[in-house]
Amino acid sequence: MDYDVDVAIVGGGLSGLSAAITAAKNGLSVIVLERGDYSGSKNVSGGRMYVHSLKRLVGDKFKDAPLELPIKKETFEVYNNGRKTTFSFENKENDNSYSVLRSKFDRWLASEAENSGVAISYSTLVTNVRREDGIMVVESNRGDIRTPLVIESDGASSFVSRYLGLSDIGMNYKMENVKNLLGNNNFQAKNFMLGIKEIVERKAEDSAGEAKTILGLTDGIKGGGFVYTNKNSYSIGLTLKMDSLESNNIKSHEIIEKYRENLGMDGKILEYSAHLIPFYRYDYLPKRYDDNLLVTGDAAGFMLNDGFTIRGMDLAIESGMIAGNAAKKITDSKDYSDTYIYEKMLEDSFVLKDLKAASKISSLFGNERTFNVYPSIISNLIDTMFTVTDSPRENIKNVIRNEIKNNNISYFTVINDLLKVI
Amino acid sequence: MELIKRLGLNKNEVGNESHIAVNTDICINCTDKPCTKVCPAGTYEEDKEKILIVHYERCVECGAALLACPYGALKFHYPEKGISYMYG
Ligand SMILES: Cc1cc2nc3c(=O)[nH]c(=O)nc-3n(C[C@H](O)[C@H](O)[C@H](O)COP(=O)(O)OP(=O)(O)OC[C@H]3O[C@@H](n4cnc5c(N)ncnc54)[C@H](O)[C@@H]3O)c2cc1C
Ligand code: SF4
Repeated sequence: MDYDVDVAIVGGGLSGLSAAITAAKNGLSVIVLERGDYSGSKNVSGGRMYVHSLKRLVGDKFKDAPLELPIKKETFEVYNNGRKTTFSFENKENDNSYSVLRSKFDRWLASEAENSGVAISYSTLVTNVRREDGIMVVESNRGDIRTPLVIESDGASSFVSRYLGLSDIGMNYKMENVKNLLGNNNFQAKNFMLGIKEIVERKAEDSAGEAKTILGLTDGIKGGGFVYTNKNSYSIGLTLKMDSLESNNIKSHEIIEKYRENLGMDGKILEYSAHLIPFYRYDYLPKRYDDNLLVTGDAAGFMLNDGFTIRGMDLAIESGMIAGNAAKKITDSKDYSDTYIYEKMLEDSFVLKDLKAASKISSLFGNERTFNVYPSIISNLIDTMFTVTDSPRENIKNVIRNEIKNNNISYFTVINDLLKVI
Repeated sequence: MELIKRLGLNKNEVGNESHIAVNTDICINCTDKPCTKVCPAGTYEEDKEKILIVHYERCVECGAALLACPYGALKFHYPEKGISYMYG
């Protein structure tokens, strides 16, 4: 078998760079193909990273990581018809998550990868991947690379899986569903969210970060909002279910405009960005291994969104590290069809365990009541509690009962939804 | 802030050729035009004759175009250059 490198990694984002660093430390020859001019140039996230995986990946270098602010305060804001309910929780000791801006962060991680001996080819758009005589040929605008093992880290749009699943992609008007994905019909609107984001200038010099989760400002579209504090800016944005956007009558770029106005953020806007976010149900996650192929991060649908935490970045880093270790085992065994080993390692890690555990709550986050009914109930309830008029005050229990009745949902449903959270 | 102005904040190196192909034969019969609602960059617009126009130079490469059209009229691949975020 004649090939150029032990492992070719498509995509130099978090998962690709983590896979590269790990594979290189394991002694493999590695090349990363990244379509951006630099790592991070194409990447968007809300901006809160749980740093446990990063710490294990970079060790002592963690102190140099260009993170923004440690998140010390969690706030929930529920909006309904001009009313706003806020819950906050603050822990000054907390430093398990940080706000982060990807353009800066990924570039730093890429330089760490290069220091570990990883070759990164930038401005390199992978345009096809095909199998030939038991190895993979990765085609790009810069030429072909032959390798026995490809790690696909190309993010939510997962073109590599598409290339491998479709031979006649050029003939099709639609990039059809991918053959190597379970059920063959994963690439549908219902399995994705659209993330839209703005960076807004911030003047304050506060060094503690806050993460806000916003409900009720999505114009009836299923989804939620976030506000993260960075050193000199705010990251504000929305995550909106694609199928809900398609079937409603408002434009996504208008929703974020109204969102910013409703939040009362009037600082200078510095950037406007958007990116797809995977939103598979656990049982429908794409298959993440195939002959000569390991799939990591967003491309594998590793995104945990339970309405309280959005986690894609730590899952990307962790799955990348696991792929880098699996690559070593596979290379040693020389059996490139035995990639199931990667799946086993994922199962033993928090990646699949946490995704499974969160799957119940995700179903809460996927339902209409969370976005329309509950915000209204909460607002009405608190409104009633703090409203004093001449008429006798209603007993709080009755208020709750009436609210639930007026909104046409059963107690059973409410309890069922509550149980998903607990 | 107007969408076009917001898009203008970004560094976007637009190529000479569109990276988005649309089969307008299909769009002719599409009344709701969901693509125009989904796209965060306003890439798809309906003109006065109800024909779909594609402003590929607005595209921020989010990937939504891959899912935006339920009738399979859109074909999207990444451009060679395109967007470079400063914050991300
Ligand atoms: C609005 C928004 C908010 C989010 N909020 C959070 C949050 O608060 N916390 C959190 O943990 N996660 C969050 N996420 C999710 C998180 O951003 C992703 O899970 C994470 O970026 C996935 O990393 P990745 O390496 O798998 O993919 P990406 O970061 O998308 O990297 C993919 C890389 O592949 C490259 N690439 C793609 N195709 C090709 C090709 N054909 N050829 C060459 N290169 C290619 C891209 O340029 C990119 O560098 C959010 C996402 C969005 C969009
Ligand atoms: S691209 Fe699809 S959704 Fe948009 S107008 Fe054409 S048929 Fe309708």
